[in-house]
Amino acid sequence: MAEPILRVTNLVAGYGPISVIKGIDFNAYEGEIVGLVGPNGAGKTTFLEALVGNIEIREGQIHFLDKRIEGMSVMKRRKMGMVLMPQEDYIFPFMPVKRNLQVAAVLSRDEEKEESLDFVYGLFPVLKERERQIADTLSGGERKMLSVGMGIMTNARVILIDEPSIGLAPKIVTALFENLKMIKEETGKTLILAEQNVKILKIADRIFGLEAGKIRFCEKTEDLDEAVVKELYMGE
Amino acid sequence: MKDLYSEIATVVVLLIPLSFILWGGYLQQVTGFLYLFVLQGYVAWFLLFRTGQFFFGYSVTMAMGAYGTIVLTEIYKWPLLASVCVGSGMATLISVGMFFGTCRAKGFYVGMASFLLALLFPMVVEGMRDISGGRSGIYFTRLDSLVGPDVLYLLIVLFTALIVAGLFAFMRTKTGTILTLISENDDLTQTVGINTIKYKALAYVIAGLLSGFGGALYVNYNGFISSIDVDAFTTLYIFFIPLLGGRKIPYGPLVGALIVIMVPELLLSIERYLRMIMGMVFILVLVFLPEGVGPGIEMLLKKIVSRFRAAPVTAVES
Amino acid sequence: MILDGLINGLIMGGILSLPVLGVAVVYGITGVPNFAIGLIGVFGGFTTWYFLSVGLPLAILIGIGICFPIGYLLQGVLLTPLSRKKEADSTLFFLITISFGFIVEGAIRSVFPKPTISIAFPRLGAIHIGDVSADGFKFVALFVAVVALIAIRLLEQHTKAGRSLQATSQNLKLATLIGINTNQVFSLAHGAGCSLAAVGAIFWGALYTLDMGTGWHLGFMGFIIAVIGGIGNIWGGLISALLMGMVMSFAGYFLGGVWQSVILYGIVILVLIISPRGILGSERSI
Repeated sequence: MAEPILRVTNLVAGYGPISVIKGIDFNAYEGEIVGLVGPNGAGKTTFLEALVGNIEIREGQIHFLDKRIEGMSVMKRRKMGMVLMPQEDYIFPFMPVKRNLQVAAVLSRDEEKEESLDFVYGLFPVLKERERQIADTLSGGERKMLSVGMGIMTNARVILIDEPSIGLAPKIVTALFENLKMIKEETGKTLILAEQNVKILKIADRIFGLEAGKIRFCEKTEDLDEAVVKELYMGE
Repeated sequence: MKDLYSEIATVVVLLIPLSFILWGGYLQQVTGFLYLFVLQGYVAWFLLFRTGQFFFGYSVTMAMGAYGTIVLTEIYKWPLLASVCVGSGMATLISVGMFFGTCRAKGFYVGMASFLLALLFPMVVEGMRDISGGRSGIYFTRLDSLVGPDVLYLLIVLFTALIVAGLFAFMRTKTGTILTLISENDDLTQTVGINTIKYKALAYVIAGLLSGFGGALYVNYNGFISSIDVDAFTTLYIFFIPLLGGRKIPYGPLVGALIVIMVPELLLSIERYLRMIMGMVFILVLVFLPEGVGPGIEMLLKKIVSRFRAAPVTAVES
Repeated sequence: MILDGLINGLIMGGILSLPVLGVAVVYGITGVPNFAIGLIGVFGGFTTWYFLSVGLPLAILIGIGICFPIGYLLQGVLLTPLSRKKEADSTLFFLITISFGFIVEGAIRSVFPKPTISIAFPRLGAIHIGDVSADGFKFVALFVAVVALIAIRLLEQHTKAGRSLQATSQNLKLATLIGINTNQVFSLAHGAGCSLAAVGAIFWGALYTLDMGTGWHLGFMGFIIAVIGGIGNIWGGLISALLMGMVMSFAGYFLGGVWQSVILYGIVILVLIISPRGILGSERSI
């Protein structure tokens, strides 16, 4: 089997004196969807922020494309091809939809931009419909789509998304997840999704279970026992 | 306990210059002037660092106390004591007025409004130059002629030391402790059920009163005041006094006032570059010594002392 | 007389709108209220005066040009690193920029031979509107201000740099995640803001005089007018500048010199108390 595109060993990270992540091993292969599930407060957001470089880690190593990136700035990791779409404030509110998408492609070449834009519009036709609308006025679901679209426009190889389904109605969640699956299949990008919603099991290739800063299990989705997931949320 | 010792020590140090009267002359003059700003500096220290309120209007409150005293004494022929009291009272009105006007605003805007007031005030003084003398100023020698410069000097040193001691004592009372709580976490204190507005208003009353009184003292000691003396830069300098000297230590404002007042005095020869140097000093302190010069010196002293002790002890330590 | 006041007010407002714009750009994007921006602009004005011998257009360019690196470096060397510290808040920046203003003031005094100057512009002859006549040059000033504003708006919308600027001011965290070099954006914005202030100062120096007091005045006025217009909001800044220009003009007529500014500051204080976000609201988050 090929080497993972992203490999994390013994990651310890947190805020101030508190360690939220207490020693995590994690990996992701190119072209797969990895789900990071866990209840509130498990450390999912902290983990993603540590991956992308927003918070400094205390211990551990992160290998991306066979390079160690723990010391690298957010910008450098972004140039290498990793981007995070955060859980809150994930759009530029006072710009039109199209501008949001264009800005996201700031590091790409012009030809790539056009291609990516067409792809995003194909995936989310409503964004094309509303391309001149100010982003702030979109509905919750549309905003999430915009955020995912922006992630695609960045041309990153690895897209981290923090709770893509939060605040969305169930039907919209299903549609969004279907779209994420399509992205993986048609672009070969790696998606790492931190999610509370167990529907993620439907599209993820592998699942890591996170609780109180530690990984409880790591399985291929097909091998995963639902009971194990339930236990993660209900507690021990 | 350690705090109490520093506080007592500070008050004692403040009283030492009472002896300067024996030498008189320049030393006495400059110290008197310095003390007027030490006083204002402690007011700023109290209001900002002990209660967490950003107020840039010290020049205004000081001016109200000063001009109030002059106007009431000279024009309306009131007895001096009454003028001083009413002048200070007017200063209090300003400080409390600013407080209530800005208590809905958050953070920086609070400071902004009072700073704008400080910018505005000298212009008002200018506009009312028939009464206030505007830029050319007014002379005022009532107290000077009543008791003479030496007694005046002693009064200033005494009042300053008393006020500082009073502030220290006040901070140890229940009310003072509540104010400290508010400065550390306003919202939490409110949640606990304390009416923070009441307490903050009290802090502003105290600050306005003391600053106005200080202004009255200023005009009596200096014998003169003009709109230039109470412009926005005065209020900034006053604000910098506790900031430079050290916000968490009792003698911070003393150190700060020494820097802010004495450095320009000493550098009068290169007056041209004065503002530039003061600006650089301010920035350096703000960036590298956010705790103030006082703690910086304390740390330096500690290092020196520990180096003296290190020699015979190293054998034991390793 | 009303027409006279209106026109004068418009012109004054127009010129003021440049430092206002400078402040708005800097604050809107970096979140730093730079009160020294007026003085930096005045430094540019003095520089232009100093180099008048090489011809007016070149002198103007030099004056504007020198303010850009001042703002750029101020932001990059001092303000950006400082903003990463936890305790950094608006008041700290306020104090720092004012202190920097002291430094600039000192620099002007030590570098240039005269403390007060006036820049000699070619007189364009009077223009008559109704029975009011004003120097043609004043209208040029107003015109330049409006053009500058439009130019900025266009640059923002249609260039890559402009979009990065917009993005940074609307959502700093996301902009960084996307890969925008936000530190660079900050420094550029600050440099641009200072250059704008320089343009304003140069015009002021041509129509009136330039000295230290003017520097502080422009800086403070720029800020308070920006606040009234909703800080960060460029059009709001222009409108409020024009409005304030007229207020000042009329106050000047009816009440005399000093009260002009008193009324202005008084209005701003009122606005801050009643509606801290300014009358026209803010396009950018504060």
